Amino acid sequence: MKRFLLALATMAVLTGCKNEKQETTAASEKSGEVNVYTHRHYAADQELFKQFEEKTGIKVNVINANADELIQKMKIEGEHSPADVLITVDAGRLTRAKDQELLQTIDSEILDNTIASHLKDPDNQWFGLTKRARIVAYAPERVDSTQLSTYEDLATEKWEDRILIRSSENIYNQSLLASIIAHSGEAAAKEWAEGMVESMARAPKGNDRDQVKAVVAGEGDIAIVNTYYIGNLLNSENPEEVKAGESVKIFFPNQEGRGTHINVSGAGVARNAPNKENAIKFIEFLVSKEAQEVFANSNYEYPVNEEVEPAQLLQSWGEFKEDRLNLSELGEHNKEAVLIFDEAGWK
Amino acid sequence: MKRDSNKWALLTVAILVFIALPVVTIGIELFSGPGETWGHIVDNLLPDYLWNSLFLILACGILVLLFGVSTAWLVARFEFPLRKQLEWLLILPLAIPGYIVAYAYAGIFDYGGSFQLLLEAAGLEFVRIDIMNKFGLAFVLGISLFPYVYVSSRAFFINQANSLLEASEMLGVGQFKTFFRLMLPMARPAIVAGLILVLMEVLNDYGAAKYYGVNTFTVGIFRSWFALEEPETAVYLSALLIVIVFTLILLEKFQRRKVQFNSNRSNNRSIDRKKPGRRQQVLIFIAVLIPVLLGFIFPLSQLIFWAVLTFDKVFDASFLALSLQSFWIACLTAFVTVVMAITLIYFSKWSRLGFIKNIAKLGVLGYAIPGAVIAIGIMIPMISIDKWLISFFDRFFNMDVGLLITGTVVALIYAYVVRFLAVAYNPIESTSLKVSNTIPDSSRILGVGNISTFFKIEFPLIRTGIASAFILVFIDALKELPLTLILKPFHVNTLAVKAYEYASDEMVMEAAIPSLFIIVTVMLPVIFLNRMLIK
Repeated sequence: MKRFLLALATMAVLTGCKNEKQETTAASEKSGEVNVYTHRHYAADQELFKQFEEKTGIKVNVINANADELIQKMKIEGEHSPADVLITVDAGRLTRAKDQELLQTIDSEILDNTIASHLKDPDNQWFGLTKRARIVAYAPERVDSTQLSTYEDLATEKWEDRILIRSSENIYNQSLLASIIAHSGEAAAKEWAEGMVESMARAPKGNDRDQVKAVVAGEGDIAIVNTYYIGNLLNSENPEEVKAGESVKIFFPNQEGRGTHINVSGAGVARNAPNKENAIKFIEFLVSKEAQEVFANSNYEYPVNEEVEPAQLLQSWGEFKEDRLNLSELGEHNKEAVLIFDEAGWK
Repeated sequence: MKRDSNKWALLTVAILVFIALPVVTIGIELFSGPGETWGHIVDNLLPDYLWNSLFLILACGILVLLFGVSTAWLVARFEFPLRKQLEWLLILPLAIPGYIVAYAYAGIFDYGGSFQLLLEAAGLEFVRIDIMNKFGLAFVLGISLFPYVYVSSRAFFINQANSLLEASEMLGVGQFKTFFRLMLPMARPAIVAGLILVLMEVLNDYGAAKYYGVNTFTVGIFRSWFALEEPETAVYLSALLIVIVFTLILLEKFQRRKVQFNSNRSNNRSIDRKKPGRRQQVLIFIAVLIPVLLGFIFPLSQLIFWAVLTFDKVFDASFLALSLQSFWIACLTAFVTVVMAITLIYFSKWSRLGFIKNIAKLGVLGYAIPGAVIAIGIMIPMISIDKWLISFFDRFFNMDVGLLITGTVVALIYAYVVRFLAVAYNPIESTSLKVSNTIPDSSRILGVGNISTFFKIEFPLIRTGIASAFILVFIDALKELPLTLILKPFHVNTLAVKAYEYASDEMVMEAAIPSLFIIVTVMLPVIFLNRMLIK
């Protein structure tokens, strides 16, 4: 036992030293790196970071966590925060970071020219990287597609006990409700949330993929999910998931009106970024044609760079009209949305 | 003598201050009052949080007692086929993080999941079992946490029970009566020590509850902290949660005080196992096998199935480096935590002051606080120290040192120690309670100091407790998630974080490989230390 403890202590000291060394070398190369706080953890992202390193010689350090936690972390770290870039999977969280003065205005011609105005912050504090639409996936044998029209329609009696949607904890649902608040006001939004609770086939649980699988299993007729999850199901290693993806059809809601609700995963430069220049270069690289192609083809997201075509699968669903509401509004109405969900009893 | 005991009292308090720092930081926040949505939460959400959390405490409590105590008794008392293997297999459910077990079971009972395929293969009609609700959650958490109770009660049955059993046998008392009337009450401190750990784990769970759509206190804490942006409100909910845990601990203490069970002699002879008849052996084998199947083999098989499907996509050389890093961090954490627990227990004992002994117990409270809350509670004071250091170096050395502590392994391990002290404290304390004071006392009377008495006499006697403490903290640290996510440095990554990254991106199948690596990494020390435990 004693020898074991001794060995352990020695190793502990060694690990400690090793780490210290890493820290100091990291500090000495400060000119050549960029520290990224990101909520995205796809293999494609790591591939892109590697490409950026090879292209520019700037080393990419990554901290992966939930956007909310990253924002708290940046807030506490304050002016000494090592963060250069914050990447989230939702525009609402970026707006929140902006409101808490964690981001800074960036003047970049490349970013201005590449990204449509509704997909970025009005003050250029954050920029969309990829788009996703929140759409309806339905069982074609039970749902007549002509019956489908708008998000608002889904909250009517017609769909009672037929809809599958995940918990209100989920940011994509919060943003969908925030967009309804922005378009139609709080009262209408609350009515919608209450109607949706009536329409639910079961208490919300699981993730987006699970909602699609539940449609296939017959628990409900309609699932509300993000586009790329359908793509991920169809390309799953699990044949049962592929079957699930194949047995639903896609519908883009609100095509006659304001357009289908979209959201972006996006990036901003931290207010106290120690490597601001590198951070800008990094974001510029992520919206470049080569990087956008990787985004488009690996995770079935819509590219923000219009020169890049979406993946074959997304093209097969056809073009759709997207809601051109400036996405910063999603952040502005986020808290109201969360409160409305609770009052409506949307778990 | 008086001055001497003051020294130990002061040291105890110093350790407590160190441990309590994050908790106190959070406590101070309480004075700023709850946020403006507090009323909203009380009206709309609190009843649900309370009801669900209480339900989970009750359901999981019953489940882990059932599985944990019965298996511990059976493996300690009887000889049956594969007993040795099952004895350590029973610890292994702890190797799979609770939220991974939850994902695995959701996968098993999913549409197109293993259960359906199995039924189809057997030519039976598919019955969909919905596991994603609070009953399913209680099952999943119970089945992955019962080894806490198993480990602590088995240690008691093996090391302590022999002389009592002999006596009971000589008096002609039957098996059942011996178990229920004698062993169960005697083992109570050990069982409860395990049970309290389980209940705190249950209250801390976030991943599984969120995925199964059950609104518990911790889900509420995350929601008010992050979605509603009101740390003050989250702190209020945390405080309520602490009150619940405190009540549980006090209730048990109060109950136990009424009846004193301290055995006045230590006994390190191992138990003599009975060899029952063939049929009984088979029954015992099955009874012990069921929890192993449910808690380990079934979820493991599902993970292996997923891992085979995704192996090429996920596995590469950097993965091995990552596993090694996880392993060392967990070892270091376990070592530091065990040392802290021992010092806390013995310093407070040597102080010979009743109230110091009582407040030493406060050190375990960190376990009741969700990892994310501790992480924030550590970051706030760490950052102030860092800022002080920055201005110090700037003024006297004209150097920009940056954040020295925050964002290093130090902060991470500090947080782990605060969080897991209870995991080390309870098994060590319960074994130390059984060591009679007479030998150490005579050693001291002969002029041997407290510390050398400890190493020469007490340490060998509480070795098994220390070993279980080490295993349990190691496993917990390896699996820990929310706190690691917030405090981990740039250059460090852990398997749990990797698994979470996949799972949270709805790539549950891809999470299987890092999960399997966690399981393998945990299994090695479990086997090694388990041998020592039995010897």
